[in-house]
Amino acid sequence: MHEKRLFWRRNLTALRVQGIFLILSMVAFVPPVLAHRVLVYAYAEGDTIHTESKFVPDTPVRQGKILVVDQKTDKVLLAGQTDDQGKFSFKFPAEAAAQKLDLKIVVEAAMGHRGEWLLKADSYLTGVNPEEAGAAGPVARSPAAAVAPTSEAPATPTPPVPPAVSVPAVDRKMLEDALNKALERQLAPIKEMLTELTIHRTSLTDIIGGIGYILGIFGLLAYFQSKKRKDS
Amino acid sequence: MHISEGVLSPAVLGVGAALAAVGTAIGLKKMDYEAIPRVAILSAAFFVATLIHVPVGPVGAHLVLNGLMGLLLGWVAVPAILIALFLQALLFQFGGLTVLGVNTVTMAAPAVICFYAYRGLLRRQGTPAAIGAFACGVTAILLSGLLVAAALITTGQAFIEVAELVLLAHIPIMIIEGIVTLFIFLFLKKVRPEMLEGLYA
Repeated sequence: MHEKRLFWRRNLTALRVQGIFLILSMVAFVPPVLAHRVLVYAYAEGDTIHTESKFVPDTPVRQGKILVVDQKTDKVLLAGQTDDQGKFSFKFPAEAAAQKLDLKIVVEAAMGHRGEWLLKADSYLTGVNPEEAGAAGPVARSPAAAVAPTSEAPATPTPPVPPAVSVPAVDRKMLEDALNKALERQLAPIKEMLTELTIHRTSLTDIIGGIGYILGIFGLLAYFQSKKRKDS
Repeated sequence: MHISEGVLSPAVLGVGAALAAVGTAIGLKKMDYEAIPRVAILSAAFFVATLIHVPVGPVGAHLVLNGLMGLLLGWVAVPAILIALFLQALLFQFGGLTVLGVNTVTMAAPAVICFYAYRGLLRRQGTPAAIGAFACGVTAILLSGLLVAAALITTGQAFIEVAELVLLAHIPIMIIEGIVTLFIFLFLKKVRPEMLEGLYA
């Protein structure tokens, strides 16, 4: 009994310190807010492409450098800088629309952080009128004439159709325009949600799994070293 | 502190990988059987600490604990950091496999340097040892920041500019790391002095 009391008196401070240490380390665990991976995502709205860049989980990349690159040739089509909300918008280059280029959007934040997003031609060209896209198609085939018409085609709305053309065609076009706009507006939040979902957030499970791996690797090492020691 | 994939040139990546390989070889050679559990624990601590994000500065930063690892492990810190970074790259796409060497060097080299720089102070008793432990935590982060900036020179970013940014962002971390290193050192000295005896006898 007396010995037991002595044990406690002797070790209480040490135990207490260990306890506090344990609790502190657990507190450090609780909010799984995690280190900085840079994410950039982009979506099209009409002829404009909006990009948003952030450090996981939620810090915007301020004044980050944005590069719009052709995915195949790695040619830089456009460069820009994000604002304080990490956003950057641009009208997509006529060249990209004409050749249906898949765009790679790269964000370079400070200190060697970098993120990428692939924007497929199909997904940003949906906003373009079929007539205009169709117009861009055949022109692109003759490279000499390619520059002039395509550069204005996606950027400006098509000039009013001459009165000679039948009225229903105009109506249809206007209707399609309106529909496209409305759809885009309504789909924008869904697109954003989908993007959010594709982000792999590091969870507590991941971290614990990682620790398990580390202990396992060193366990293996210890196993082999212990064998060596027995042999020698 | 993790440099992302696709930022650095192949030459820098190569040099980083080579240096990391040499450091790992030395570390593994110095790691004896008794040290393995300690290395495992510190590797796990580093793995977790570098994931947890403290929202300070322009980018936010995280603890690195490389000063502590240098203090407790010496050269063995290199393989310990390498394994943790490897798993982070694999599981979370932090950094990346091609940058693994460079990232290992930027975080492990300061650990080793601090181990040698503060060994003298840490061997002594009382206040000098405490100062040594604090300084070890601070210096390791400082050196890591400088190494990151140095690695980024080759990308055309001005060294002074990047270094300033990295260091400014890490000033709070330096202080926190210093305090954490100090407390863990004092704690171990009191509770598990045998853990330090091998290195600071």
